[in-house]
This record gives sequence, C-alpha cells and structure tokens, in this order.
Amino acid sequence: MRSMMRQFGRAPGRILASIFALALAVGAIGVLAVPTVSEGTLHDAVERDGLADIVVDTTPLEPGRPEQLERIDGVRRAEAEASIAVRLGDGSLSRMIGLDFGSQTMDRVQLDAGDLPAAANEVVTSPSIGAIGDVVVADGVDYEIVGHGSTLWWSDSDVLYAPLDTVTELSAGGGTNRLVVTADDDSEASLRRISDAIRSELEVTGDTFTTFPILMPDGSTPIDGDISQISTLIGLLGVFAGLVALVLLASTTNTLIAERTREVAVMRALGGRDRQLRRRLRRIALGITGISLVIGLPLGIAISNLIARMVLEEFVGITPSIAVDWKVVGLSAAGALLGARLVAARAARKVVKLPLAEALRDREGRPFGRGRIQRLVARIPTGGLFGRLATRASVHRPAHTVAVVVQVSAAVGAAFLIPSLTASVNEFNSASFAPWSWESLTIARDPGLSFDRTIVDDRPGAEAGVWVDGEIEEWEVDVYGLRVDTEFFDPMISEGTWLRPGTRDAVLSAGFAARNSIHVGETVTLELAAGSVTYDVVGVSDDYARAIYLDRAVLAADLGAPGRANTVWSDRSDPGVDWGVAVRTDTVDEIAAADQAGRDAIVLIFGAIGLIVAGVAALAVMSSMTVSLYERRHELAALQAIGARRRRLRGLVIREIVPVATLGIVGGLALGALGNRGIIASFESSNAIDIGVVDAFDAIPIIVGGTIVSLIALSTLIVRSATRRPVTVTLRGAA
Amino acid sequence: MSSGRADPHDGDMNDTSVIDAVATAPTAARTALIEAHDVTRIWGRGSAAQIGVEAVDLTIRRGELVAIIGPSGSGKSTLGALLAGIDRPTSGSLVVDGTRIDRMNTDRLAAWRGRHVGIVFQDFHLLPTLTAAENVELAVELSGAGAGRRLRRAAAGAALDRVGLGAHARKLPAQMSGGEQQRVGIARAMVTRPPLIVADEPTGALDQANGHAVFELLTGLAHGGTTVVFITHDLALADAADRTISMIDGRVASITTKAGA
Repeated sequence: MRSMMRQFGRAPGRILASIFALALAVGAIGVLAVPTVSEGTLHDAVERDGLADIVVDTTPLEPGRPEQLERIDGVRRAEAEASIAVRLGDGSLSRMIGLDFGSQTMDRVQLDAGDLPAAANEVVTSPSIGAIGDVVVADGVDYEIVGHGSTLWWSDSDVLYAPLDTVTELSAGGGTNRLVVTADDDSEASLRRISDAIRSELEVTGDTFTTFPILMPDGSTPIDGDISQISTLIGLLGVFAGLVALVLLASTTNTLIAERTREVAVMRALGGRDRQLRRRLRRIALGITGISLVIGLPLGIAISNLIARMVLEEFVGITPSIAVDWKVVGLSAAGALLGARLVAARAARKVVKLPLAEALRDREGRPFGRGRIQRLVARIPTGGLFGRLATRASVHRPAHTVAVVVQVSAAVGAAFLIPSLTASVNEFNSASFAPWSWESLTIARDPGLSFDRTIVDDRPGAEAGVWVDGEIEEWEVDVYGLRVDTEFFDPMISEGTWLRPGTRDAVLSAGFAARNSIHVGETVTLELAAGSVTYDVVGVSDDYARAIYLDRAVLAADLGAPGRANTVWSDRSDPGVDWGVAVRTDTVDEIAAADQAGRDAIVLIFGAIGLIVAGVAALAVMSSMTVSLYERRHELAALQAIGARRRRLRGLVIREIVPVATLGIVGGLALGALGNRGIIASFESSNAIDIGVVDAFDAIPIIVGGTIVSLIALSTLIVRSATRRPVTVTLRGAA
Repeated sequence: MSSGRADPHDGDMNDTSVIDAVATAPTAARTALIEAHDVTRIWGRGSAAQIGVEAVDLTIRRGELVAIIGPSGSGKSTLGALLAGIDRPTSGSLVVDGTRIDRMNTDRLAAWRGRHVGIVFQDFHLLPTLTAAENVELAVELSGAGAGRRLRRAAAGAALDRVGLGAHARKLPAQMSGGEQQRVGIARAMVTRPPLIVADEPTGALDQANGHAVFELLTGLAHGGTTVVFITHDLALADAADRTISMIDGRVASITTKAGA
C-alpha cells in the first residue's frame, strides 16, 4: 500500500486517469448484467403478484365454473376475473378489472398507497387516473379511488381495479369473462393439454374462449419474448462493450508498466532480479486495477440498473428496484484482475527482457532501424520530413498502431451500428405498414368478436374484419380475416395467388413461411382460441410480418362467431359507426406516433449502450495516444529544441493519426455494418420474420467528421500537455 | 546570399556555401551576442524551491569560445539551457543576438531557437526514425529558411561532409556509433549557420578520440565566427576556450579570460 501511495504521489494525474479508464472498462461490462437484472426484477414481480400459468378470456361464465374446472387433471387452481372497457369522465377509454380481493391467489394487486376496495364503488387505480380520495367517473358511474397500485399483467396501462361483483354486473352477459389458472406441472406440454381440456369443458355448457389462451410455462411471463429479444441485443452490445473494455484494460495496464521501463532498468543495474521486478510490476498493475474495481463495480451496477430500468419501464411499465447480478459483478472483477495480471505479466516480461544497456541508454524505446521492414520504410520518401516522421513512428510501434486502429474501429463500429440498427428498425416498421392503406383502425375493446359486421358493411370507405391471435408451428401469429376484395390491404403476393371467397384459402407472410418451410400448395394448421383449424396455403405475401390472411367469413365461423367481427379499417379518421360496444379508434398518425415513441425508447436504450461502448473505445484511443506520445516525449522535446513550434508537433501527431484513423474508420464502418447484419439476422431467425437490413449511410459523414475532429482535438490536447514542461526539463529527464 | 555574420534568415539559403561561410567568417566583430543581467532560475516554490542559477550577470561576445565549468549541481547545465533558450529564467533579463528571450512564450521561443541557436546535446537527441541527412535537413526546415527541398538536402549534405559523415548520410541513428551520432548533432546545430551554438557536455558520452574530434569541430566553428558555449567537466577542454565561466552553487564564481582572446 505504501508503495502504491508513492506511485500515486509520483504521477497522480496518470494514475487517476488509469484508475478512471479501468473503472469505466469494468463498468462497461455491467451492460452484460442488464438481461439478468431485468428478468430478475420481472420474475420477482411474477412471484409477488401470483401470475397465472394460463390466462384466457371467455364467454360469460356462471359462478362456480372455476371450481368445476379445478377437477380437470393437472389444474391446481382456477379463478374467475372480469374485464370490461369503460369510458372515463374525460372521454378516454380505460379498462375495469374485477377481482375477488378477499380470496384470489393470482393477479394480486400490489398497493403503492391506500387500501384495497372494500365496497362496490371503490377502486384502486394508477396515480395518473386520480388521487386517493378522488372520485373517478366510469361509464357515468362514480367510483372512489381508495388506493394506488397495479398488477404485473396490467402494469403498462391505466386500469381500475374493482370488486369482482361490481364488474360482472356491468359486463355483457353478466358473468365473469376471464379465467386465470395455475397448474401442478407448468411445462408447456402440460399447459397446452390443460388449456385444451378447459376449452372442451367449457364447450359442454356452450361457453368458449374468446381470445387465444396465453400460456406462461416454466414461470415465464407474456413479455419474456420481448425482454429476451431486447436482452439478446443488449447482451450482444454488452459483449462488444466488454471486448472494447478489455482493450482499454490492456492498453492502460501496458502503459502503467511501460512507463517504468527506465526505473526497472536502474533496478536491474543495481542487482534486482527479473522475477522480483516482474512481480513488483504486476503488483502495481493489480493494485491499480483493484482500486479501479472499487469505482468500476458500483459504476457497472449503476449502468446495468439504469438500462434495465429503461427497458422495464418501456416494455413492462414497472419501475424496478435496484438489483445486482452478482455473477456478472464477480466475473467482471475476476476478468479485470485476470486480464490485468496477464497483460501486466506480458508487459513486465517485455520490460525486463530489454537489453539493460539499451534500456538505460535509449529513452525512446526499441531503436528504429534494427528490423528489415523499418530499414526499408526508412528508404521510402513518404512526403516531407514530417510525413516521414509520422509514417516511421507508426512502423516503429506496430503494436500501438494496431491497438489504435482496433480502438478507433470499435468506437466507429458502435457509432455506426446504433443508427444502422435504428434505420433497419424504422425501415422494417415502414415496410410492415406498407401493405395497409387505412386512415383509422377501430378495435373492439371487449374480448371475442363483439359486433355484427353488417353494421359496417353498408358504409362506404370502411371494412369490418377479424384480427385475433393464433399460433402456427408454435409461433404466435397475427390472424387477419379480411374481405377477399379488401381495399385496405395490398397483399403484395410474391408467390401463388390471393384468397378466393368462401374457401379455406390462406396467404402467409413470405418470411415466416420460408423460415418454417411452409410452401404454397400445402396445408397449414392454425391454433385459434376456439381450437385447431387447417387452411390451404395459396400464396405468400411480402409483408414483413408474421401473419396469416384468411377470408373473414371463414375465420369468424372457425371462431364460433359467424357474421361477427372485432376490427374495422376505414379510409377516414372516424368511421362514424354506432358500435353499441366499447371500441377504440386510432388514426394512422396516432398509431405511427405511438410506434415512433416506442422506437424512440428503444433507440434511447441502444444509444445509451452505444455511447458507453463508444466512450470506452474513445478513452482507449486517448489512453493509447497518450502512452505513445509519453514514450516519445523526448523526441518531441528534441524537435522543440531545434525550433519546432507546437503547431508543427500537432501537425506531426495529426499526420500520424490520419492514416491510422482512416484504417480504423474503414474497419469500424465494416464492423458496424457486419454487426447490424448479425443482429438483424439473429432477430429474423428468432422471430421468423423478414426485417431487412438498412445501413445508416447518412450517418457516415457525421461519424467520420466527428471521429476526425475528436482525434484532432485529442492530438492538440495531448501535444499541449506533452509540451507543457520546459524543454530542458523533459530532455534532462531523459538523461 | 549575405556574407559575414549577417542573419542567415534575412535571405534565402540558396546554396551550400553557408557552411563554408561559417568557417571563413571574420572574427573581428566582437560585439556582445549574449547579455545576461541578474538571471535567476528557481524550480518549485516555498520550502521546496530549488535554485538552478542565481543572479548571473554575463556578457558573451560574438565569435567567442566559452566554457562553462563547475561541479555537479553547480548550475552550469541550467545556465547553458537558459542561454540556448530551452528554458526561461524565473527573473532577470536575457538578451541574445539583440532579442530579449526571457519574455518570450514557449512557441515564440521555439521559433527563435530554430533561427538563432544550434544545440548539441550530450545524449545527441537525434530523431531515431530519421536518417543522418534527414536529421540535419530537419533543422533547416524548422529554421524557416524557406529553401526548397533540394537546397535543404544539399545544405544537410554539406554539413555532414563538414563533420566527415558524408558517406553516412542515409544511416539511421541506431546504425551509427556514439561519436558519429554526436557529429550528426553538430552538423544539425551548425547547418543553419546560427550565431550561437550551445553544447552541453558534447564529449561526455564519447571516448577520447571521438571526443577530441567533436571538440575540434566546435573550436573550428568558433574560429569561423560562431559563438560557441560549451559545458564541460573536462578542464583540459576548458583550457582551449577564450573564456571560462566557473559556476559554484548556482552562481558565477569566476570568469577567466585567456590571454589574447
């Protein structure tokens, strides 16, 4: 420790810079903890709320039906809930959820403040609906807000939680319309079997599912898919950040050792044994890395929690408490210490292997001109004298040159990857909207096909149809029931034909069909809320979606609701229909704006990670350049002594950095483009859809300009710092 | 081409005769080149302050060969650095070749050095990635002489010839002996024909034969009209100087002028 303090006292600026660089390197590794922290928080919420294994909307059920369903083999518990759409006093649509607060074991409301409802007209809401004690009007009825809270299931929307009886009385049919079930065995196969058994049991009394049952096997949540995708991406960026961090770690540790070359030479001259000196150097590096961990680990925890918070607030609507992924913490600490140990060992070996006389005499490191390549380069007249100095300096220190190229590549790669990913996602969104030409989309808020499509069919510029969830080959798909002669969907058939009326024809998304080896002419099995049905694939659509398009009449019949619909596409912002049921109408602009908000949030998350990666890489570049110029400070002082002004030295450093930066920029752009393709390919594969790759070429001038300006600014700063001391002091330091 | 002791930067360095001109310039113009008044250099502050040189008053004339001697830590290298303009005094005034250099900022001082001073270091301080010729040529370029590349190259070649290293022009420092490197250092110092050359222990890192050859070159320059200030431990070398400044504890203890100088 005393030795460490002496080191610190000798060069506090450099030691602090090293500590900060290493701390940031360790902190960047914290990005890897984001998926675990997010998933951990989510699963804590699952445990706390008592999330069901199966959730499904049903036709109104009589009291006592859940208890009957508990007789099905494997069902541990079945509970009924009620869900209705209500219009609040301010005209907005919301949802009222009826729960049996006294006995329920699933979807338990977590109170942030106040109490659970005890009377029929009491509700718990999110704070945005009103303060505790306020009265909220829903469908013309007054309810008193007695508490603030939510359940995980509804955490991303504003809902009113009311006693079960209150909501069942208001629901169409006057019964509960939602089932939540837990199973003894929560494996996927078991849940599928139970779901089918419940559907069959309900059909006995003429009841059925009105939505596709949501299964949550093995303690998963419905948004696990989303979280997993974003986690995969964050993980990939985390690996990138980690690699860059390791480069920074290596370059900083190298610096710490290289700076002591002469000191070590003197010790060797005085009889210090190589082994002893190597151990001393390793200890210095490890000591500084240890101090860096004290800052870096909390920084990593902060980074992972910050990003996890952004992810969970955006995708789940819950604000997580601080969580720590001890595995990542442990691994980053071990990785940093091991990395520093390995790099320090190599650097220390290099330092003590330098011929003693050379180490004592030569302050510029290994003399130039000993190798054939160096001698060859010395004969090439590359520009003026400063041009030659610049070229030869790069050849003189190849490891340093390669390190800077890699670091610039990493920074540029991260800077190019983020806008490219954003552009790809934006293009994908545009492409997925491309086949549709409606102005507004109206969706019934209640489960099932809640209105008769004839109320729309007579109206010009509007089409009623069906839009429900389904499953093909265990992939969740959008199932569209359209008028065969629809005016609002351009099928963009790339192979086969469009639907014929009244047939079991189906058109599939081309990317989805290709990834599941489903071909035109084959049949496809579609799982619907009402059960399994088969269709004949007659064509595929270039729609950038995971969807199946069917004749609406056939689909409605398959769903057990012939002639009914739940969706209306219209060429005006308000279809002007007297619905008779709760619906929500959104214009294309509103949907685009909501989409944009979602994308902005994702871009913000990616941007934050990209910034960390680029920041770490930039710090690594700075560290490498500082080391290089530190090693050459005597050369710079000698140049000053014979009349070189600072601008000449700056020019020299810039000449050196330009070709290196050019290589780094080219490499970085290639790296970013490859990363974009890799990530998109992984998304396409994990989602079984076509996404398409777009490179953000527009960003290239900004990235290149920014990199060059930053490097010039950095060169100026470093030269200024390297020439601050009087020339004689620097030269004397050499002697 | 101007003749005699005129500032080489008044005109273009358009031929290689500059080196010869240095060697043959008249030595009659014995006006003051360096005037130091109450020059003090202190490093650090308060109790940590360390005196390099203190209250030095000194005048050195053009064309003089001046030795600065003294024990280690006496301030001779500090004084040499101040005279060469690679350090600035903490107080006092220092005029070299008519220019007050103690008030110049770092950058202006660098430019001034390029035009007015040639420096020879004990450790040579050649740029390791440049050949002997390029090292010398660099000094011409940094002096702002404005000559074209071919003329600069020719001047460098002539300077190397002058120090006997014409055949080593394309060698890198790492391929030369210490004596050869020091001679390149001298060629670099004189190629711009500066009025002042400051050499800090120029023979300190060399064997006797090489040291002698290097010293001969410096005395030759002084005889040609260049003021040469050299710092040395070697009293035998100091004996050859026109004047010897003896330093003790940062102060000028004595100045001895050789008879007839």
